[in-house]
Amino acid sequence: MEVFVAARPQVVPVQAPAGPSGLAGSRPQRGNAALTGALAAVAAGVAGASARRRGTITAAAKCRGARIARKAWRAYRNCHGGEHLSPERKRQLEAICEKIATPGKGITATDEGPGTIGDRFAKVGVENTEEHRRVYRQMLYETPGVNNYLSAAILDPETLHQKDDEGVLFPRALEQRGIICGVKPHLKVYELPGALGDTVMQGLDSLAMRLREYKEAGAKFAKWRSPLQISRYSPTKAAIEANMRDLARFALICQEEGLVPMVEPDIIMKGDHDLETAVAVNVEVQTNLYKAMLEHGVYMEGALLKTNLVNPGLSCDTEYMVEEIAVANLMTLRRVTPVAIKGVNFLSGGQSLEQAAARLNALNKVKQVKGSCPWNLSFSWSWALQAPLLRLCEGKGGKLPLKEMSELYLKELAIASAAAQGKYEERESSLR
Amino acid sequence: MPLAHGGLPSILPADVMAELKETATKLCAPGKGFLAADESAGPWLRAGHAEAAKIPDVIENRAAYRSLCFSTPGLSEHISGVILHWETLFQDDGLGKAMVDIIQGNGMIAGIKVDKGYNKKGMWGTLVGPLGHPEVATVGLDDLQDRCKKAYEKGARFAKWRNVLQLDPAKGLPSDLAIADTVHTLARYASICQSEGLVPIVEPEIVPNGNHDIFYCAQMTEKVLAAQFKALADHHIYLEGAVLKPNMVKNGLAGPKAYPETIATLTCQTLLRTVPPAVPGIFFLSGETALNEDNEEEATINLSTMNKLFSGKLPWHLSFSYGKALQKTCVANSQAVFGKYQKGSCASVGTDGNVMQAAGPY
Repeated sequence: MEVFVAARPQVVPVQAPAGPSGLAGSRPQRGNAALTGALAAVAAGVAGASARRRGTITAAAKCRGARIARKAWRAYRNCHGGEHLSPERKRQLEAICEKIATPGKGITATDEGPGTIGDRFAKVGVENTEEHRRVYRQMLYETPGVNNYLSAAILDPETLHQKDDEGVLFPRALEQRGIICGVKPHLKVYELPGALGDTVMQGLDSLAMRLREYKEAGAKFAKWRSPLQISRYSPTKAAIEANMRDLARFALICQEEGLVPMVEPDIIMKGDHDLETAVAVNVEVQTNLYKAMLEHGVYMEGALLKTNLVNPGLSCDTEYMVEEIAVANLMTLRRVTPVAIKGVNFLSGGQSLEQAAARLNALNKVKQVKGSCPWNLSFSWSWALQAPLLRLCEGKGGKLPLKEMSELYLKELAIASAAAQGKYEERESSLR
Repeated sequence: MPLAHGGLPSILPADVMAELKETATKLCAPGKGFLAADESAGPWLRAGHAEAAKIPDVIENRAAYRSLCFSTPGLSEHISGVILHWETLFQDDGLGKAMVDIIQGNGMIAGIKVDKGYNKKGMWGTLVGPLGHPEVATVGLDDLQDRCKKAYEKGARFAKWRNVLQLDPAKGLPSDLAIADTVHTLARYASICQSEGLVPIVEPEIVPNGNHDIFYCAQMTEKVLAAQFKALADHHIYLEGAVLKPNMVKNGLAGPKAYPETIATLTCQTLLRTVPPAVPGIFFLSGETALNEDNEEEATINLSTMNKLFSGKLPWHLSFSYGKALQKTCVANSQAVFGKYQKGSCASVGTDGNVMQAAGPY
């Protein structure tokens, strides 16, 4: 398609003309040369007309010209779709997105920080040492055959700098196996004062600098998770808007630093809400997300979505068939998601492997019948994959039974891959 | 127990939603588009014929012209829906047959324009744009609920409402105010229509007047459509029972001219970023073209290029809703929907008869 798009006039940083209004010239602005010229003409014309009338350039004329110019710049710079990115940068981002969105492949989310993974180890009697974390993750990345099912892996920053037994850094080891390496930057959850339970994530402030480090270490994408909870009081409009705007800004910064942003609005399963409520809240959250992303100028074709399946709350009384949940998910996706985004990877969020696989599978089956669904719908699982592996550690005297874990892990990934294609044969009943 | 409508909160009764979906599906039949026959004045005046202009613009002539058009044999192969003016919906032809019956008898669906235009005085505080007046707000919501009910009873099954936005890079048009007003009004209209069983055509038209380039139009169209779909979601619009009627992303009439491939690529890029797949169809308006261009030919070529370049990649039915551009032939446009239009193959009057219509509420 490149050949058909006539070249846009080169965007060059130009000094805005220090015209009759002191404001226009007060700071250098990037801009289209023709537009700048047009604006200068407007400002000059206004000032000139006024001057001709009164014989002087009045303060009012200067300000009016500046006001008009300011309106023009504001309108022009809003919703620019990644205009500031070079064509090569856009192509790189798109290429990464396309690889991650490979049909039949998904993501292994291994981005728990040392503290979180430590809790999981502790529950099964394994000591939380750096070496244990290293060999455990090595198993998750390097078990032979996993690269048939994995398009990407999300790492904690610590793991980015760890090496496998051969002395190869993990990002490089993953790359050698055709698995794209991503990172979860450090984020801190923060309760919004006055909002009964709504939270925001802190982490934007030093993000650009940290992303640069992660990129040097070999990361190709970054993920930011914004959790929200459905309850009688939440999520409030303010919380939704704040979180979605943060995701949009995160995406903007990622793309500027050359990483694909994986935005993760996660409406957790805790609660007693029914499926209809879940649909309504998901629609509200995601429409806010995409509007924010578009307005910030995120390059949509170079961004990915990771999100929860639309599910009834864990303590909801109503029983739903897996097919009902699948249809609700498909309808929601079709109602809000831009086609420009290439893929959606669903998190497990506390579901077991069987549950998560059954729902993802039903969704992919329904996708084939129910009408247009242009995105790759796959998995990005942490707990669903790792919980059974960690259970294998019980009663092993604090050792990691890596060989056993490898075998089970490979089987799990085969299930996940089948679910991502609608080919998973369930042995259990389809009730949740 | 299966959930109605895949878990969508049941704002509308199930039978209303089913009917909306059925109407929308019929409207978006492959290869078909809309005939926009909702002009206030005599439609023959739009073709710009010197001879045609001599025909008096009275109600009988309008009825005669339109009944002639609507009963054309074979029209329903290319037209799924006809958009009528309020006058026409309640009209009979010269022989006493109701217009609605002519349309339905000829295999098409009747639609109704329900907006009441806009006052060119515009919204206070907005700047004057290329149309020569400030940014405007379309009116007609106040009695819309009643009028929709009457239209449905008469046999209309879809509705149309047009909001207008102007582009001017030097003045920052469209302003946030105009965009907010436009998307809100269209969402309210859509909501009322759906509650009365009419499929709404949502039309946030960005007029091409002005000297901006195509890239500015792309950016602003994206901005408007992003806001529009957010508003539709906020107003609980059932997207599967609504259709979009946007402008194509084009250069300003007095701006640097873009190739059809550029128009096609940028238009589709904008749509892919903003329009969810649940919308069953996108029907482009033909809009104004420069004096030296053949309106119908241009619009047809653009649509055909889109369908050709992006075939298989677009989840919506992409088609036309032409008024001006269909004064000549509509077969050509049906070919364009399949991406097969041969430039110059439609019998066209050419540009001699073009009249620069005073772009305004029609």
